Amino acid sequence: MTGMSLRLGCLYPEIMSTYGDRGNVETVLRRCEWRGIRVAVTELRLGDRVRPEELDLIMIGGGGESQQRLVASDLWKVKGAGIRDAVAQGAAALAVGGGYELFGRFCQAGEGAELRGVGVFDSWTIRKGAASGDQYRTLEDERADRAIGELVVRWEGTLLVGFENHSGGTYLGATARPLGQVLAGHGNNGDGTEGIILGGAIGTNLRGPCLPKNPALADYLIGAALRRRLGETVLTPLEDGLEQAAHAVAVQRARSARRAERARLARTVLRYPGRGSRMSTTLRRGHSRPSVRR
Amino acid sequence: MQSKQRGWGPGNGSLRSTHSGEHMTISPGRSARMTFTASARRVLAVSAGKAARTGIRRLGRGNGTAIPGLLTMAIDPSVLAGLIAEIPRGCVLVTGSNGKGTTCRLLAQVMRDAGLRPVLNTEGSNQRSGLATTMVAHSAVTGHLRRDAQSIGLFEVDEGSLPEIVRHVGNPSAVVITNIFRDQLDRYFEPAYIKALLERTLRRLPADTTLVLNADDPRVANLASDLRNPRLYFGMEDTELGRDGADPTSDFPRCPRCRSELVYSCVFYAHLGHWACTSCGLTRPEPQVKISKIELVGPSSTRLQVVTEAADTVLELPLPGLYNAYNALAAVAAATQSQLPDRCVSAIERVTAGSYRMERIEVAGHEVYLALAKNANGYTEVLRAVLGDRQPKRMLLGLNDNPGKQPDTSWIWDVDFDGLTGLVPAPVLAGNRAADLAVRLKYAGWLGAGDDPQVVIEPDPVRAFQAALAATPAGQPLWVVSTSVVLYALRRWLRQQGYVRELWQEQRQLERARRRRKVGASR
Repeated sequence: MTGMSLRLGCLYPEIMSTYGDRGNVETVLRRCEWRGIRVAVTELRLGDRVRPEELDLIMIGGGGESQQRLVASDLWKVKGAGIRDAVAQGAAALAVGGGYELFGRFCQAGEGAELRGVGVFDSWTIRKGAASGDQYRTLEDERADRAIGELVVRWEGTLLVGFENHSGGTYLGATARPLGQVLAGHGNNGDGTEGIILGGAIGTNLRGPCLPKNPALADYLIGAALRRRLGETVLTPLEDGLEQAAHAVAVQRARSARRAERARLARTVLRYPGRGSRMSTTLRRGHSRPSVRR
Repeated sequence: MQSKQRGWGPGNGSLRSTHSGEHMTISPGRSARMTFTASARRVLAVSAGKAARTGIRRLGRGNGTAIPGLLTMAIDPSVLAGLIAEIPRGCVLVTGSNGKGTTCRLLAQVMRDAGLRPVLNTEGSNQRSGLATTMVAHSAVTGHLRRDAQSIGLFEVDEGSLPEIVRHVGNPSAVVITNIFRDQLDRYFEPAYIKALLERTLRRLPADTTLVLNADDPRVANLASDLRNPRLYFGMEDTELGRDGADPTSDFPRCPRCRSELVYSCVFYAHLGHWACTSCGLTRPEPQVKISKIELVGPSSTRLQVVTEAADTVLELPLPGLYNAYNALAAVAAATQSQLPDRCVSAIERVTAGSYRMERIEVAGHEVYLALAKNANGYTEVLRAVLGDRQPKRMLLGLNDNPGKQPDTSWIWDVDFDGLTGLVPAPVLAGNRAADLAVRLKYAGWLGAGDDPQVVIEPDPVRAFQAALAATPAGQPLWVVSTSVVLYALRRWLRQQGYVRELWQEQRQLERARRRRKVGASR
């Protein structure tokens, strides 16, 4: 594989990088290095333009509302066209959490005006707190409205694992394809879907960060990025024993969390039979947290 | 002037607050009965709490730092405020993401040297229930605090619980804020939430409460800057240990006033340093208490020259790392605010490591150090303190998720393992997320990438410890750095094996020794 190279663009590495999102970048770098693929990294900060023909893979991490507000206008005004062109030309992309929300059409903020997205994906995000229009008073209020926990997703015959922590519900347009089906956790908006996939561009709520523990997804992105200039390429398989072990632990943690939740629900249903129907519906839909308020 | 009144100098015991009784008087006719009911309730609440505390300890179910308080507060929610108001010399609150426990420990030592007797909650229970347990432990069955004109409250407060605690501690003499890091994102989300929460809380404080703030943390220095409360800043002046450029563990906070990018002339660690905003002109405030010279003397101590407005002292801090230098600085600043005599500051030199804070234990001929690391910056700074001398060391690293408390472990990707490669041969990894840690270390270049990664993964803390100890060459120390669950389990086992004693047992022994001394002195 010598002689191959990949051009990686990292969007706002200092602002959009919560929850260890730099681990995703590190994973791409290392997995390329171990295969002898050279990676040229371009850090794209506020004010920097995107040249679509010079990027094979674009990555953006998560961030809270304040970070989203900071980058939103730069993202669609300065970089928007470049990013959309790059994806249209076949570049791969990974947008996680807050970045995923901004890669959609728009993103409703908890307070203030809604944020315009890049429009790479046919999706939009509605934040739960936005409806009431006021700021959360306490951490407990805020926590009650968030989806926090293990997230397991079926994707192309394998499982993707990670952690989710978001208050927004992301909805997909009619033509959009979800990344996968939720097996445990909340996902996009509780409808059983998680993430979005458009060619080599992926948006997801999976954190943890998502690539180290899901080497299949990491290699999918690397493969898609290489394919843009080199056509069909076969990646050398890597020794993934440790990665698979971490993956297995995450699946098992999600299972035990689900079991504990079911047991808790069963106890609640026995104690307050009247509430049973509502709770079992939420469980069927794939929620792991029936305490999430509407 | 205010602070003079509040001073801790000898013979100033006039701080007794009176608001403990304000909820009792409704009308003159009923007041006697109300007072009786109220005090009966309080006696019941305190006795129940005391009984629960003794019971839990007798049963050997840990040190019972939360349940007695919960019980007490359930019976009488006014107990906490009532008891705290009875502390003759008022109280100091210490909060922040990292270092609040150690800061309290250091400050307590200074207070003791100044002849005060601090009422402390330093052993882990830093939320409302833990504070209530502490107060119950210090009160008599009459439902009142034991009489001691020299007692002063010194409370470590969980940054998320500060608003609630401030409701009970109506009138703290000082609030010390150490730093705001990314911590427990699953619990507190982003630092901006904590910052906003602290800011709202500071606005509810009386105007004479002094704010003791870290000048080097742009999130802390400018908190509620429009308040007229006295502010005392502490900061690092010696730029010798500054980093070249930004620290990869920083989350790059923006200007607290105009949200522009900050520039640093010197970064110490994470986002702490000499910062300025080129856009609006806001700069790091000039600290009144500062470290003018610092020297890291290896993995167990630090030499500091601390300068206050009145004194210039060289201290041999028996704790390693830059982060502990900041803790010592915060403690000295709080002591200065409280007008403790300058000579007492040297008490810091006699402090011993708190439990799990580089706590040294002798096990089978090996020195074992236990260090708790709960977030990316804590983990990084502990590793830097241990491996700063670039000598290879044996280590057991632990990582656990904690459902309901800290389920998310993604922060290990923000730990700067990358800057410390090649220093830990065949690390042993423990905890239910040991495999995640292994992946992290593999990508950081700590492990071989091939078929033999040179790492031991053993989720069980005790078995992992035994494996790590067996692999440690004779005479060499073993360093255990981990999140709480692994460390607690390991320490419980070490106690069962007789290597360490429970914290509260040690405290009780100290208490007894002190009483004996007191009795001896009065004879």
